[in-house]
Amino acid sequence: MNKKRIAITLGIMCIVLAYAISVQLNTITNAISSAGKTETENKLRDQVLRAKEEYDRKYAELETIEKQLEKIRTESTNNNEQSQKNQEELKKINTYLGLTDVVGEGIIITIKDNTEGSMITANNDIIHDADLRDIVNELKNSGAEAISINGQRIVQTSAITCVGSVIQINGEKVGSPFEIKAIGNQNVLLSIDRPGSYLNYMEEYCMIPHEIKKSSEVEIPKYNGVLTTKFLKEQ
Amino acid sequence: MIFIAILVGCIIGALLGMNAPVIPYTMSGYLAISIIAALDSVFGGITSVLKGNFDLKIFVSGFFGNAILSIALTYLGERLNVDIYLAAIVVFVGRMFTNLAIIRRYYIDKWTNKLAKKNENDKQDNITK
Repeated sequence: MNKKRIAITLGIMCIVLAYAISVQLNTITNAISSAGKTETENKLRDQVLRAKEEYDRKYAELETIEKQLEKIRTESTNNNEQSQKNQEELKKINTYLGLTDVVGEGIIITIKDNTEGSMITANNDIIHDADLRDIVNELKNSGAEAISINGQRIVQTSAITCVGSVIQINGEKVGSPFEIKAIGNQNVLLSIDRPGSYLNYMEEYCMIPHEIKKSSEVEIPKYNGVLTTKFLKEQ
Repeated sequence: MIFIAILVGCIIGALLGMNAPVIPYTMSGYLAISIIAALDSVFGGITSVLKGNFDLKIFVSGFFGNAILSIALTYLGERLNVDIYLAAIVVFVGRMFTNLAIIRRYYIDKWTNKLAKKNENDKQDNITK
């Protein structure tokens, strides 16, 4: 009897210990794909991971709070025709501003860096912020109603800038391959592939291949940031 | 019986841990220090079994108590900006090495005694022949 109890206790302790060790191993392999070369590098990596975790947590919080707000709005306008109208108006305006997830017919362009180039042509082989800006401009010119690059919605305050080795859109880093989604009249949007267009120029001179897919249901996410004005006044 | 329980426990724990969700990176430092504390208690337990003064109550309380205490101290160190976990690691790992040395000596002694006995037996056999 006594021996049985000892065995069970030891077994439970082993379960706890083995569980803890394997969870720890999983966590560490997930967090650090390759060990840093120096102490400083490891510390920096540690800081980045911590900051990222904090960011993810805050983002999730924001998401739940937004959902709550939405719920409260719908509840408060439930039995009032005037405010229901206002609510619909608000929704429409939010859609125009890019603050809602939208879906519609359009095209999906995929471009990626040319990885087969030599060192000498390296500057031409990668996609720059200016390339993306030109493509976005062409899409807007062909009547695109909503555009996103790698999940970043292009709204009126969006900037596409170069930050070192990556491109920043809406303050978020994006990298190759780029998936540019646009909603609009498909046939007009396809003029982006016309001879002499920027995409074809890139394919010809920079060896950057592109791929265009038509879709009747292109899903474009909403703008994640906050639109604020400080100096704008109504006249 | 006891060895089977230990083996089964280890396997079940490892399988559960493989499929468990990863914990936040901030927490993994605390988990690491508690694992070291628990391992220290395990080696201490083995040593006390060899010495013949094993007590299950002391073992279990040391296993969980040390783990929780080390987490608490590490947390306190983080608040005070002192790396207390370093002290914990030094103590636990130092004790682990001491215990391992005791375990090693015990088995080497046993082995040497066995060899000596065998030699004596062989000699006696030769004499009788």
